[in-house]
Amino acid sequence: MSGTRRASGAREAEILAALWAAGRPLTPREVTAAVGDGLAYNTVQTILTRLHDKGAVHREAAGRAHAYTPVLDEAGLAARHMHALLDRGGDSTAVLSRFLGTLDAEQRRIFARLLRTDDEDA
Amino acid sequence: MRVDIYLPLLLTGVFGLVAPGIARRLPPAIAAWLLSIGGLVCAAASGATLAFLGWTLVGQSPDVAADGHWSVPALRNHDLVPRPVAGVALAAFGIALTWTTVLLVRRLRALADAYRLAGSLASHDGQLVVTDDDSLPACAVPGRPGRVIVPAGLLRRLDATERRALLAHERAHIAHRHHLHGTAVALAAAANPMLRRLPAAVALATERWADEDAARHTRRDAVARALRTAALTSRTVATPGSVLGAVGSDVVVRVAALTAPPPRPTAWRILALTAIVAATALATLVAARETERLFELAMHVYRLTH
Repeated sequence: MSGTRRASGAREAEILAALWAAGRPLTPREVTAAVGDGLAYNTVQTILTRLHDKGAVHREAAGRAHAYTPVLDEAGLAARHMHALLDRGGDSTAVLSRFLGTLDAEQRRIFARLLRTDDEDA
Repeated sequence: MRVDIYLPLLLTGVFGLVAPGIARRLPPAIAAWLLSIGGLVCAAASGATLAFLGWTLVGQSPDVAADGHWSVPALRNHDLVPRPVAGVALAAFGIALTWTTVLLVRRLRALADAYRLAGSLASHDGQLVVTDDDSLPACAVPGRPGRVIVPAGLLRRLDATERRALLAHERAHIAHRHHLHGTAVALAAAANPMLRRLPAAVALATERWADEDAARHTRRDAVARALRTAALTSRTVATPGSVLGAVGSDVVVRVAALTAPPPRPTAWRILALTAIVAATALATLVAARETERLFELAMHVYRLTH
């Protein structure tokens, strides 16, 4: 895969993530602001059009522009597939890399306490 | 009794003992490579050594000796390996081989499961798949292509830079095939219990590697903030039995590491780990040569008496 294609895949993901985070339809200008990172309006426009062509986002008219929302249908499906895999437990989850590793309730309590103390110190 | 033939086992023990600690102070990408390649080499070396030791006993069976055209008394009277030691080595080799095979089969199944999951997601062929269930963990699923799965709730709690950090972190896992490093040390640990601390060490190294990658794409504090937010708000159910089960406290280590500058590659640490691995491989060649010499002698005796 070329570096450019990888980079554009990353941009697609960032824009999709911004739409999910917003929780309401966003115009390309709002998406540009939400993603930040010096991303050009034209680039955002192009990627949104590509995402729409792929069926990853819905588009509706909003004044003279369009407003975009992520396609929700697959979120539930993805969750069910994930649960099915996690429920199998043991080795089937061993090749997944989790953002947090695995925290059990006790570890999370300790961690939360550590972070809070940290914040109070700061 | 000879000692040098046991050297690969001793060196493997040394690697298993000191490698996690030394690797922790290296840049995580270098650490992950040294641990996984070193673990595989040491596991193979110590496995081969057990096989050599055991073979001095197997070779004494009359049928095997007849096939190999060597003298059984010559093997029995040698002083290279005492019989009880050879017996224990043979048993250990059998257990290690069985256990490694079992683990390999399980891992291949797990990989097939992950590939199936990655394939079943995102009909639009995107890399990011968002779930509507906050109890699910944010994670990277290896596959063709690999997918990044993130719960919608977490995306809403992060700002733009933190979101980019989270995505860059998960993307790094997929791009650098971190699951292969994990699988390598899981196999090594199955083959030799002296390497049992490697899986946790590699789990931390690959997480840190992904953190550093994300930090390069964004900022160190953004990665740390994303981690804090994810950890403090996650309701993720921990699945017992996962190899990642022991590394929960790693989050604290990772956040701390992100508040410091990225670690530098210290030459002596890299050299020390490389030297242990190289010595282990070399010692195995010596052990192989010793065993070969013994059998050559036994074959010579056989030719003289037949």
